[in-house]
Amino acid sequence: MLLIHCPYCSETLPEVEFTYAGEAHIVRPETPSAQSDADWEGFLFLRSNVRGPHYERWRHLHGCGRYFNAVRDTVSDKFLTTYKAGEPRPDLSTLTVTQK
Amino acid sequence: MSNYRVSGRGRVDTARPISFTFDGKTYRGAKGDTVASALLANGVHLMGRSFKYHRPRGAVAAGSEEPNALIGTRRGPGRFEPNTRATVQEIWEGLETTSQNKFPSLKFDVGAVNDAAYMLFSAGFYYKTFMWPRSFWDKVYEPFIRAAAGLGVSPKEEDPDHYASRYLHCDVLVVGAGPTGLAAARAAAVGGLKVVLVDENAEAGGTLLSEPQARIDGRPAWDWLTAELAALKELGVKIMTRTTAIGYYHQNMIGMVEKLTDHLPALPADTPRERMWRVRARQVVLAQGALEKPLVFHGNDRPGVMLAGSAQTFLNRYGVLVGKKPVVITSHDSAWYAAFDLQDAGAKVQAIVDIRGTVSEALLSGARSRGITVKLSHTATGTSGRLRVSSLRVNPVTNGAVGAGEEISCDAVLMSGGWTPSLHLFSHTKGSLAWDDDRTTFLPKDTPEDCVIAGASRGLWGIAAVLADGAEKGRAVAEALGQTPAPAAAQAVEGDRTGSGVSMTELPTDRSPGKAKAFVDYQNDVTAKDLRLAVREGMRSIEHVKRYTTNGMATDQGKMSNINGLNIAADALGKKQPQVGLTTFRPPYTPTTFGAFAGYHRGGHFEVTRKTQIDSWAEEHGAVFEPVSQWRRAWYFPKPGEDMDTAVRRECVATRKSVGIFDASTLGKIEVVGPDAVEFMNRMYTNPWTKLAPGRCRYGLLLGDDGYIRDDGVIGRLSEDKFHVTTTTGGAARVLNMMEDYLQTEWPDLNVWLTSTTEQWSTIALNGPDAAKLLAPFVEGVELTEDAFPHMSCVECTVAGLPARLFRVSFTGEIGFEINVRAHEGRKLWETLWEAGQQYGITAYGTETMHVLRAEKGYIIVGQDTDGTVTPYDCGMGWAVGKKKPDFVGMRGLARPDLVAKGRKQFVGLLTEDKSRLEEGAQIVFDPKQAIPMKMVGHVTSSYLSDTVGQPIALAVIEGGHERMGETVYIPMPDRIIAAKITDPVFVDPENTRLKI
Amino acid sequence: MTAHTSSLSSGVAAVSSAARVSVEAPCGRLSLRARGDLSALEGALGLALPRKVGGRAAAGELQALCLGPDEWMLHAPLAAVSGLVEACAGVYGALPHSLVDVSGREVSFQISGPRAAELLTLGCARDIDTIAVGEGRRTLFDGSTVILWRDAADSFRMDVWNSFASHLLHLLEVGVRELAAEAL
Repeated sequence: MLLIHCPYCSETLPEVEFTYAGEAHIVRPETPSAQSDADWEGFLFLRSNVRGPHYERWRHLHGCGRYFNAVRDTVSDKFLTTYKAGEPRPDLSTLTVTQK
Repeated sequence: MSNYRVSGRGRVDTARPISFTFDGKTYRGAKGDTVASALLANGVHLMGRSFKYHRPRGAVAAGSEEPNALIGTRRGPGRFEPNTRATVQEIWEGLETTSQNKFPSLKFDVGAVNDAAYMLFSAGFYYKTFMWPRSFWDKVYEPFIRAAAGLGVSPKEEDPDHYASRYLHCDVLVVGAGPTGLAAARAAAVGGLKVVLVDENAEAGGTLLSEPQARIDGRPAWDWLTAELAALKELGVKIMTRTTAIGYYHQNMIGMVEKLTDHLPALPADTPRERMWRVRARQVVLAQGALEKPLVFHGNDRPGVMLAGSAQTFLNRYGVLVGKKPVVITSHDSAWYAAFDLQDAGAKVQAIVDIRGTVSEALLSGARSRGITVKLSHTATGTSGRLRVSSLRVNPVTNGAVGAGEEISCDAVLMSGGWTPSLHLFSHTKGSLAWDDDRTTFLPKDTPEDCVIAGASRGLWGIAAVLADGAEKGRAVAEALGQTPAPAAAQAVEGDRTGSGVSMTELPTDRSPGKAKAFVDYQNDVTAKDLRLAVREGMRSIEHVKRYTTNGMATDQGKMSNINGLNIAADALGKKQPQVGLTTFRPPYTPTTFGAFAGYHRGGHFEVTRKTQIDSWAEEHGAVFEPVSQWRRAWYFPKPGEDMDTAVRRECVATRKSVGIFDASTLGKIEVVGPDAVEFMNRMYTNPWTKLAPGRCRYGLLLGDDGYIRDDGVIGRLSEDKFHVTTTTGGAARVLNMMEDYLQTEWPDLNVWLTSTTEQWSTIALNGPDAAKLLAPFVEGVELTEDAFPHMSCVECTVAGLPARLFRVSFTGEIGFEINVRAHEGRKLWETLWEAGQQYGITAYGTETMHVLRAEKGYIIVGQDTDGTVTPYDCGMGWAVGKKKPDFVGMRGLARPDLVAKGRKQFVGLLTEDKSRLEEGAQIVFDPKQAIPMKMVGHVTSSYLSDTVGQPIALAVIEGGHERMGETVYIPMPDRIIAAKITDPVFVDPENTRLKI
Repeated sequence: MTAHTSSLSSGVAAVSSAARVSVEAPCGRLSLRARGDLSALEGALGLALPRKVGGRAAAGELQALCLGPDEWMLHAPLAAVSGLVEACAGVYGALPHSLVDVSGREVSFQISGPRAAELLTLGCARDIDTIAVGEGRRTLFDGSTVILWRDAADSFRMDVWNSFASHLLHLLEVGVRELAAEAL
């Protein structure tokens, strides 16, 4: 069971309080009806599925209820950082594993 | 007492004798004995039969790593546990134990014929032999294997014990309470750090319990131990014994199983049998010590052949001589000390046989002074004795040549092939290992966790060395936690037994290697020959060798066999061990009961059963319940003598004729409030909401952005800025989560908030021609007339004096109301309506009748008639999709090529030609005469008896169904093919005349 | 007004030397959601809303617990609910917000006694010690969402939705006995 830092609660808490919510920084287009079939397919279905640092969303469902973003290494299963929804994608080169 | 007990030795209390039985015979042991030590004190070595060959076996170890001495333990009905290690189970007065894998008796076992058929059972035997013919598998091979193999017998009764679990947070967790762990805990217990010290044994002390000769800081080891434990308690260290750290998980979460009652003669009330601790430690010190390796030679599994260190433990900890005439065969110094201890305790050690050509002068003089014969540069090539070893055959080895054998008469063989650091938990952390050529073993290297490993588990040897290492690691973790522990003085240890040894493959032999039964894995009956055969047959990686031979795959997880197996496989491959690799250790460290994993979650507490406030009324009125997501809901209300069909038909007829009452409280409810509430609703649901006036409601459809139906429900607009949204019962949490997702991450600018009110309200549905008449007298604030309160209206009012939200909606096609009152008042209102409804013959109905009535009207149930690939258009509900809205969730999805293509499965009704009732889920075909496999064009989603229609009705999704009205389709069933006509899904009152008051 | 009748009757549910669990009498509960300048709402409520998740404030018999960045749980006597709703409605124009009466949704357990905190470790994965006295949190207990109020070192309140109450109470009752049976 992982420990996850909630950027809204400023607490590091057990994974059971959180739910996973898929890849982060996939913005729903302002006007979906203007999207081509290919673009819409990309928005709906195509995900990066990276091996390594992955931008993803979590929700502190059983706590403050907020959705937030995280960078988690899919190989080591370690969180590099978490940050509030709407904040820019952090630069990977600035991130180091603080929590062993 | 028995004649193998040595007075003045051991920590058992011989003044407190304890009787227990083994295979029906009563034995006496002493307080503090395990089953194994007590049986050995009675001269009993034969404790079980092996898994595959049914060879007689005795205890080979003294601790939890024991592979052979697996027994069943019984404590009255239901309390039977197979595969208990006799070396772990403590005895208590009246304990019943039995041996396993024997028929008819342990001493004469028919299955031992497998042993004679040994050649048949070599490595990969199952793979090679049982592959063909296929038909033999069910009738011949599997029954034979199941009867012949297997470990123990599963209990059949329900387990009457209770199991518990708890979370524990600490600063430092120390695993293993031997000298290393004790020193680490002591050093870490500074500055108020919360330290937990855990050990799987009944008492703390580890190897100190087996080495009473040592003196630490001038005190005998056991006195030092007592004082040290008292000091740790004083420092606030939580010491947990009989508690096994079974697994090391991410971010320093350690699973630990505490055994609370298996050692007690009487079960204390309210005490669980076992407790799973989920520990989160900021720092972990692993001090699990090392495990002794057997030597691999022909007959090394005969009862009486055991690890030298274990013999030393049986003597020093339990006061038991495992033999009076033991012989020692070793490649490591440690066995010499075991021999000395046994000799000093009155045994006549027949000889110390060492593989090595030279050993230290100290050992030689120790043997000399005790008059023990020493044979260096010798190998062991066999044992004899039927159910207990009676001699060891040893041969000199000169320049690799094995000389003539000599039988040494004995009643026990003590062997040592050296020691393996216990790296199990370290490996669980994904810790990397490094091969150490000198010690011929893997040692721990790096771990990604906040974890250090200390003492013998990182290859150190001797009490002084591990005390120093434990203290250093304890200080290190304290420093990592921001403390500044004082440097501790090194502790002086006298009588320390440091030593070294060499690691072997199979011992050299003068026998034909093909006939040697030299066991590597005792529990899975894997021999050295099997391993070499696996390599000859092409296995290259240890992972392949392991699976082909099953070496290390038994419940002991290869604690004794992995390194010996690796050495032999590497030798056979002509490679170094690290090139062959080491198999992965996985949790749990020792076998763990299902009860410990289940904890409190069994029986009525298995999972949450949510009940409405009206549930108790339903129970009192004989309802039969069905689970609907986490809820239990009244399914139908049978009268005496009624079966389900009869009860449901009566409920349906009564509701359509007069009035029915239904508990709809489980419907999800969400309060949507804020200036942007209507905009939010417009974006979430397919329907347009802007023009919906306060006081009116509308059926809403929720799609995913892929265009498929996710949920539905009636939504009332209570005021400009406030909506009362209902969802399906099962969808409540999911829908709220989805709404929050869009609101928080896509439209954070919208000023609107969502609150779950599912449980704020009890919801009572009244349906039927008499519903308005029944309800009207109770309602204040609105007239229940067609004009004042038309269908699809909602209002905040009072009902029977209770504040209420009243909806005029119908899921039955009859005049319908849903009355929401504060949850706790639900039953009170229900009873009021029930009483008043008697004049109309009011009938309580359950979810089944609700399903029938809605199906007669062709209303879908999301999740039953839809399956996540159904669009509103597929369902014939294009009317619910707002055409003029710029966007809503799913709008773009509905235009995807696949969703507008011809031939989609569409929602229709079905009437069978023979008036039979279809099976829900049955597949539908157009042409029943086509060849199998037929092309399936849809399936039955709902099917019910219907008195109103006069024949069974069904709903289905069928390719192009909307254009096939009136056509006949076919439903092939195992016994026949049923023909059915495609109809409109609305079977009753398509003009909705019955909705009018 | 009709008194609330709970399916779980108020009063002591389980008690031992280790801990005591009782079902509290019904009280008024309001879920408040708002953001921005909260002063209008604070004026209406007569209470300064805590801004930090887990923080609490009280004014007379009104208590507020911050559950999320824009979310508070308010507890007040039942009789005070309509007044609070009215007062807040009065400032809706100035500060749009959501105030939803959830008095009927939940029931509270009082959990106290020398080992009350340990009793919570039977079902709560988070470290109870990180909830300071005078704070509260929404968290998970035995798989169900609950709100914990820590009123003293050895005294907690647990708010649970009605339909989860009997399940959770059962575990608490087992735990009250189990802890008392332990030799320390």
